[in-house]
Amino acid sequence: MSKRILVLLIITILSLLTSLLITLLLGVKAPTSIRDLGKYYVANTIQDTASPEAVTAIVWDYRGLDTIYETTVLYMAIVGGLAISTISRKVQLKTRIGLTGITRTATRITVLLIATIAFAIALHGHLTPGGGFPGGSAMAITAMLIVPVYTLQSLLERGVTSTRLVAARGLALTAIGLVAILPVLRGLEAVTNQKFYPSHIAGMLISGSLWFYNFFEFLAVASGFAAVALYLSIPEELYREELRGGG
Amino acid sequence: MIEQIVFWVGSTLFIIGGVFDLLASIGMLRFPNFYVRLHAATIGAIYGAVLPLIGVSLMALGSPDIPGNYTIAGASFVTAIILLIVAPIGSHVLAHAAHRSKSVTWSPVIDLLEEDEKK
Repeated sequence: MSKRILVLLIITILSLLTSLLITLLLGVKAPTSIRDLGKYYVANTIQDTASPEAVTAIVWDYRGLDTIYETTVLYMAIVGGLAISTISRKVQLKTRIGLTGITRTATRITVLLIATIAFAIALHGHLTPGGGFPGGSAMAITAMLIVPVYTLQSLLERGVTSTRLVAARGLALTAIGLVAILPVLRGLEAVTNQKFYPSHIAGMLISGSLWFYNFFEFLAVASGFAAVALYLSIPEELYREELRGGG
Repeated sequence: MIEQIVFWVGSTLFIIGGVFDLLASIGMLRFPNFYVRLHAATIGAIYGAVLPLIGVSLMALGSPDIPGNYTIAGASFVTAIILLIVAPIGSHVLAHAAHRSKSVTWSPVIDLLEEDEKK
């Protein structure tokens, strides 16, 4: 048995033992009844937020401020990653062939399907499980598909770069901030939903600000993760050259 | 009457799918090299997954007592179509990569791709 496996085994056994001890000593038990807060959410979500989807209502309305800060944290992480992995000169890759014609055709179909589903997840976030974050993550998969099939170089030549995607993310995040702050101008609290935003537009239920949050979060997450996918696909060699060149 | 026929056609497809899955797994174990094992894996994905999914869709159509049976039917049919597009591409890409990297030791009777690449 190698040393690494031994260490992993010891860590696993220790953590299992610790959790067992905590369970036995502190007598942690799963609650048998629903908490009052849970009952409140179930009973009042539809009146308070005009959304039948309680999870979205909690995430973007009851705890909206929390979620906006979380979005900002992710933004900082992505910007930090970009700052580390920036290459000073223009990225020029040798391989421009990509995969076979069969793969390209199938990728076109699947990218279209994934984009449709991603939009559906994001725009129906206030009605069905889903929302901006899952929708945006699904959308970012299209970037991850296009990079190996059509090559990174072809994307870069069309002007799709990590820097621009991060800028798009910044714009989307600004839009989220604006949606949160606009009610303040009318003297309401920040992240107000139903008192400021209409619940319906042209007869369609949008649950006030929830739809806007979901939409902008979708754009933010999609562009952010696509940016990560792009800068992670730059080969390690280029970074090494950059280091040797002294930056 | 028609519902029962649809249900039984669906069940038959489902069982045929199971048989193909069994054959594919035997193939995975018994076939000699990567390419033919890939063939067995794709049989598992197409006949062993797409066919039963269409079967499930038909079974759901044939049982109106189940609540939301049209949802089940639609979802499994769409999943089957997506698998039908995606699974062969997966095998194609794997085979292409294996052939280009020359990482499979095999003694083919004929390898047209190799001859094409030499030209």
